[in-house]
Amino acid sequence: MNEQHIAYRIKQYLNQGLDLDSARLARLKSARDQALASQRVESPAAALAWAGNVIGRFGGPASLIPRVLLPTAVLILGLIAINQWRDSQQAVEIEEIDAAVLTGDLPLDAYLDKGFDAWLKRPSH
Amino acid sequence: MITSGNCSNLPQAAKKEAPLASRNELSEFLAGVERRAYKQALFAVRNDENALDIVQDSMLKLAQKYGDKPAAELPMLFQRILQNTIRDFYRRQKVRSLWTTLLSALSPGRDEDESDPLETLESEPDSKFGENPADRLERYQVVELIEKEIKRLPPRQRQAFLLRYWEELDVAETATIMGCSQGSVKTHCSRAAHALAAVLRTRGIEL
Repeated sequence: MNEQHIAYRIKQYLNQGLDLDSARLARLKSARDQALASQRVESPAAALAWAGNVIGRFGGPASLIPRVLLPTAVLILGLIAINQWRDSQQAVEIEEIDAAVLTGDLPLDAYLDKGFDAWLKRPSH
Repeated sequence: MITSGNCSNLPQAAKKEAPLASRNELSEFLAGVERRAYKQALFAVRNDENALDIVQDSMLKLAQKYGDKPAAELPMLFQRILQNTIRDFYRRQKVRSLWTTLLSALSPGRDEDESDPLETLESEPDSKFGENPADRLERYQVVELIEKEIKRLPPRQRQAFLLRYWEELDVAETATIMGCSQGSVKTHCSRAAHALAAVLRTRGIEL
């Protein structure tokens, strides 16, 4: 008697022993349903789902505007305002020096400063 | 030793671009394999509840980790998970029995006369066959005998025989799941088949 024949006959008997009672069948069905409910599914929209999760962490598109975009806009406007204020301050300082030079209203210390003298002798002035 | 549950060693045929398993395909696969899986676990752990738990855990692991794999890969993945879950059960049971032995040796209060030997008889998994109608008794007795002898096989022989001939995996797949060579699988299968035939012959059953 060869191995294949023995295995085939034993397999037949084993299959006859698969008639389980209703309690065991119900338990197996319950296990199967539980497994199917947690089946991992990879869909083409997985990347979108990932992006959705990232956005969702911020509370979804509805809350994205007040929570992210608004502070960003305020920050940008603030930086622009600071930059313009610095430019205007520099212009005022230059205007004051120019006015003082033209009206001869400079303090005496300014003429003792060799650097200032050299500055005055430059051809552009 | 059974290897870990990744699918890197799957045969190339199963790795081809195959459609992923849909919910229906997974459901059909599980429905087809669950009773054999239960019996396999029962042969190994010899306890009805534990066997059902093992099948449930295996189904969950398959669905959660490999539910998006092609349907062709499911049989081998499931068998690998099932065998690993059975092995994990053995390990846990070994640790538990060690602690039980230690604790019972340390605690003096328990009197052995308090235990009822009849309680242990209720957990015999084979007792359900005695409840079958008389006209089916003979057939079930043969089935019962074969199942009992399969339980008595050495674990590696039983594992190889069931995977190869009941689950119809080929030698290479069986070897991958068992973490051994194909030659070892053939040896285990041959010894198991001939041992079963010899035992059944002594009981007057010719295959």
